[in-house]
Amino acid sequence: MFSTAASAKAVSFLAGPLSTQTAGMATLKEIQIRRRSVQNIGKITKSMKMIASTKVPKAQKIMESARVYGAASNGLFQHAQTDFADSKKPLVIAISSDRGLCGGIHSSVSKAMKADLRKNPESTVVVLGQKVKIQLSREYRDNIALHFEQVAKTIPTWDETAAIADIILEKAKEEGVDSAKIFYNKFKTIIAFETTSIPTFTLEALEASPKLSTYEYDDGVLANFAQFAFANTLYWAVAEGNASEMAAKRTAMENATKNAGEVIAKLTLTFNRTRQAAITNELIDIIVGASAM
Amino acid sequence: MTFWKDAGFSYLKYVQVASRALRSVLKDEAKIQALKREETVLKVSRWANGKQGELKFVDPKNQH
Repeated sequence: MFSTAASAKAVSFLAGPLSTQTAGMATLKEIQIRRRSVQNIGKITKSMKMIASTKVPKAQKIMESARVYGAASNGLFQHAQTDFADSKKPLVIAISSDRGLCGGIHSSVSKAMKADLRKNPESTVVVLGQKVKIQLSREYRDNIALHFEQVAKTIPTWDETAAIADIILEKAKEEGVDSAKIFYNKFKTIIAFETTSIPTFTLEALEASPKLSTYEYDDGVLANFAQFAFANTLYWAVAEGNASEMAAKRTAMENATKNAGEVIAKLTLTFNRTRQAAITNELIDIIVGASAM
Repeated sequence: MTFWKDAGFSYLKYVQVASRALRSVLKDEAKIQALKREETVLKVSRWANGKQGELKFVDPKNQH
């Protein structure tokens, strides 16, 4: 009887520790499956990080040129000392995108928007991008007037932003808006961004600027310029937001890959320990069985 | 000068139409680069009373 028991154990030993089951501990097979899936995840996040890092310099270049546009038209407002009077019908615009997996980009803009909406609950809201729209529509559904999707799908272009600006301006005229603020993520460094707001001025505010008389202009030019300046500022905000998003995505994927690596290391250790424990148990069984003979 | 304004176009729409015209007459190499900047899949949805409206494609060719 003992010899058959011993030989049965020997057979099961030959089948290998993979088939051994110890009550209460994860089987070797389960650990192996988990380890393999985490490894795949690590590969995916690594490639996503590579893709994001190639997109960052391109996005930065677009942002630099957009800055020039924005700074130029805002330069006039600074020299003419245009200012907001107390605004009764403010408009707030949120710049985000439809893409996820990019860290705290979208929640940061939502938070800033919500803080502003708490101070001015009557503001009209325009959202660029699905992610912030979803977050804002929980609390501030009634304030949203417009939302845009698929903004800057490949790269931000002035043409697309001008189309957006045109629609916003039409809506603003309908609602009788008298001031506008754009909330976006300013690109600070490749690992840091800052959510800020930038004001844009209506035609009335521009016409009421104290130092406007220092400029010489034809009739009707101011109205065109106000629209052009708005489009420029919007383009600048979209370009900065895009660059911040690419950088944040790169950082998020880098962290994810690092974490996946740590989980794999831990699982590998657990796997080896479990395997060695199984072998040791087999040996004990055999030796005890053999010594009992 | 303001024929487009009398026709009801905003300055931004006027600039968009003019840029499209310019891009379409560029020579081949410059045209390829320029047409890339024209690509857009923008969608807009107008909300009313807290309800999301239908998502409509913003067609750059349809100016009104």
